[in-house]
This record gives sequence, C-alpha cells and structure tokens, in this order.
Amino acid sequence: MDIGLIDYFANSGKSFLHRSPAIHKIILVVFVLASVVVTNDLILLLSIYLVLTALVILTRLPFFKIISIAAYPAIFGVLFAAASWNGSWIRGGIIVLKALSAALAMVLLIVTTPYPSVFTAINPFLPRIVVEGLFLTYRSLFILLELMGNLIRALRVRGGLSPRGYIKNITNFSSGIGLLLVRGFDLSEKLYGVMKIRGYSGKMAEGEKKGFSQKDFIPVVIGILILVLSVVLWFENDFNRYHVFVLIVSVLFVVIAASYVYFNRDRGVSWKS
Amino acid sequence: MSHMHIPDGVLPLWLVFAGWIITFGILSFCIMRVKNVKLEQKLPLIGIVSALMIVGMTLEIVPIAYHVNLSVIAGIVLGPSLAFIAVFIVELIIAMFGHGGITVVGLNSLIVGAEAALGFYLFRVFWGVVSDGRLSAGLSSALAAVFSLILSSSLMIGIVYMSQASPGRILHKDEQSSDEKMLSQGLFERHEKHLVLDKKIDIERFAKTVFFLGIFGWMLESVITGFVIGYVFRVRPDLILSKVT
Repeated sequence: MDIGLIDYFANSGKSFLHRSPAIHKIILVVFVLASVVVTNDLILLLSIYLVLTALVILTRLPFFKIISIAAYPAIFGVLFAAASWNGSWIRGGIIVLKALSAALAMVLLIVTTPYPSVFTAINPFLPRIVVEGLFLTYRSLFILLELMGNLIRALRVRGGLSPRGYIKNITNFSSGIGLLLVRGFDLSEKLYGVMKIRGYSGKMAEGEKKGFSQKDFIPVVIGILILVLSVVLWFENDFNRYHVFVLIVSVLFVVIAASYVYFNRDRGVSWKS
Repeated sequence: MSHMHIPDGVLPLWLVFAGWIITFGILSFCIMRVKNVKLEQKLPLIGIVSALMIVGMTLEIVPIAYHVNLSVIAGIVLGPSLAFIAVFIVELIIAMFGHGGITVVGLNSLIVGAEAALGFYLFRVFWGVVSDGRLSAGLSSALAAVFSLILSSSLMIGIVYMSQASPGRILHKDEQSSDEKMLSQGLFERHEKHLVLDKKIDIERFAKTVFFLGIFGWMLESVITGFVIGYVFRVRPDLILSKVT
C-alpha cells in the first residue's frame, strides 16, 4: 500500500473526476459494488472492469500504477477461487473479476478525492467519533509511516535486521513497534494540544461548498447505467443475449478514452495541477 | 490470520448484511459505553493506535508473507470499547485501499474487534487473576494474543461455514440456452445448483488447514505482542494501567 502516493494523486490531479464532488464518486462506487454483488455474469463483470479502466485512463494518472494498486485483491480472489474450485474456469474468472472491479472502483475514488472530502461525504452515515477517528487516523498514518521508515533504516544501519537472524529481527522489530507506539502516544498528546489551540471542539470535517457543473454528474450517470444493466440482467434472463454488445460498448469506451487522452495530452506529466 | 481478505460479491448477502448490522449494534454499544469518557482526548489516541495497526498491516514479514494485526495491543492499550471503534476505522480504511472487500468490513470488524476485546480481557486474566502479578506484562500479553487469535480464527471459520450453509447461495436463473451458458456462467446457475449444494467446503479440512497454518502466524504475532507490551510497560506503564474504556 503506497498511501503517500495515493494521497499525492488525489491532491495533484486535474481531471473531471478529480473535480467531481466526492459524494458523486461515492455513489458511483456504491452502484459498482451493488452491481458486483448482484452480478454473476462474466461478460458483464468484464464490461464493468473495462468501463472503470476507461475512467482510470481519463484521470490521466499513471495507468499501470493505479491498475497494480487495484490488482492487490485479485491475489486473494485467485486464492478464494482456488479454494472453492469446482472445475469451472469461468467461475474462477467471475470471482477474480468481482475482486478486481470492486477494488478498482474504490481505488478510483481514493486516487481522485482528497481524504478530507471522502470523510466529509460519509459524515452523515457514520457516528461522529468514527468520522473524526478516520480523519485523525489518516493524518497520523503519514507521520507513523515516516517514523517507521526511519526506524527500519536505523535498525538496518545498526545491524538490527539481518537476512538470517529471524529471532533477532523479530525482537528488534517488536521493540521498534513498541517505540512507535510510545512515540505515537506522545504525538497524539501534542496533536491534541495543537488542535485545542487552533479551536478544536470535537468537530473537524467541514462540508463542501461548491456549485455543480454538468460534468460533475458523469460518475453518477455511469454508476446508474452499470447498476441498471446489472439489475436488468439479474431479473431478465432474456437480456443475456445482448450482453456481448455491452462488452463491445465498454471496449469502445476504453478505446475512445485512450484516444482522447493520447490526442489531448500536454507535454510532460499531464495529470498534475 | 483471522483477517478475511474475501473479495466483494462472494459472500451471501444475508451474511454481509448481518455482519454490518451486528457491527453497528456493537459500535453503538461501545460509543454509549465511552459516553462519559472525554472523547476529545481519546480521539487522537484512537487515531494513533489505528494508524499503527494500519502500518503493521502494511509491513509484510519475510519469508512467511504474514502481516501483523496488532489488534491485541490495541485492545490492551485502548480498552475493549475504544479498540472496537479503532478496529472498525482500520477495516474501513484498509478496505478503501483494496485490502479486502468493502462489503466484508462488517464481518472483518467483528472478527478483529473480537480479537481486540478478547485480548484485553485475557490479558487482565493472565496478568491479574491467573498469575496474581507473577507473570510479566509481556508474557501475559503474548498468552492473551495466542488465545484471542485462536478464538478469532475459530470465529472466522464459523463465518466461512455459515457462508456455505446459506440457503441464499442457491439463487435465480431458470432457463438458459447453451450459447448463453458459454458466455454467462453465474456462480450458482441452475445446472450447478446441486454441485453447489453437494460441494460445500469441507469445514473440517478447512479448519485443520487454518489451524495448522495459523500456528506460525499466532506464534509470530504473540511474540511481537509480548515484546511490544513488554517494552511499553517498561517505558510508559501508565498506558497499560489506564482506566478501562
């Protein structure tokens, strides 16, 4: 998990998805997840994955990096498919595509939305303590990751981590985590003090105040289309004969997205603001 | 070991919803229980411990490809209620990074939350009641970690068993033509229904596999928990002996 990089992508991008309100992208994710849950159709799942891939292309973020981040659950999907193997490759493919599609939808959300916006958007659905906890956890993560990096570097330099000394490694590593815990507590106390000075009164996340443009609704429209298709296929078996066309449309979407990005590219890195 | 990396859309819906409902029930209970605690002071603490758990989960220990949960440490340091809240936060964040499905956050919170709460109570039992202070904090926490990991892994096996036994697994789809079957082969299609019914996971074999492989993970996590709590107890004993929340 490259949390720092994900945060950088979310804050530096300038695509229409980056500009879309967080709640619209969350609606897209919810609809994709609902589709993934109700669909057991390989072609439709492949189509959903391709549509999400096209959206990744349109974000102009490093494509393979995003795909690789979202491919992590596929490992467990493969394991799960192997564990419940009944001789059908298609069944295995369905499980892996379910994992890939759901993860890509989530990753698409977090690489195009800064975390305070995500937490603000889910604020009404969760208890206050959880939302505030989410915010503080995310904030603390970067500090701890840096501390952890320094700790591991220090352990290596001082011979605390060696290739074959597993017991010694575990002992030193565990003490390192203990050290992080203690320093983390000190940090939390300092953080609390700073927050109090800056007027913290138990509420931190502020609502987004921004007008909507037509482009902002693109994620919602795509989400609705995906969900409607999935539900129709779920209820109406006769519709199955047309799902190849859905696949063709999604492939076309990828081609159009790739062509659009290719012919409208700027010089140098084009996704940064 | 007890953390489920099951993708979205694989577990039956009733189980997923049950997981969320029970998790929200426990979450509400925990929030009520800590109502009298000064939350503004505890929130940064929850944030730090949750962040530490996430950092622990991102560090893969070579060569056994295992990541620690640190949930027992969270339980001992935060107390059962705050630890459950921290576990829910951790599960939500790691699901956002694709580390397990978002729909299984409820079930994962139950499993890891149970691990944290059991870790706390078992630690108190080993340290106070059983050993009457003769065991060190490190050893007590290591023992608490072993037992809570065994119990949470059993809970995970139970959930996997329930997912197989569900009548909701046998779903829909009445008629399909042969070419449609080639292109669209749902998980629980008509011609596979009996296979699904007959091909339930052999829970005994599954449990044996989990417990056999789990031994290494439990040992490792308990050793780490023991050293961490031992270190914290030496440096900041007030963190271990704070008021139960």
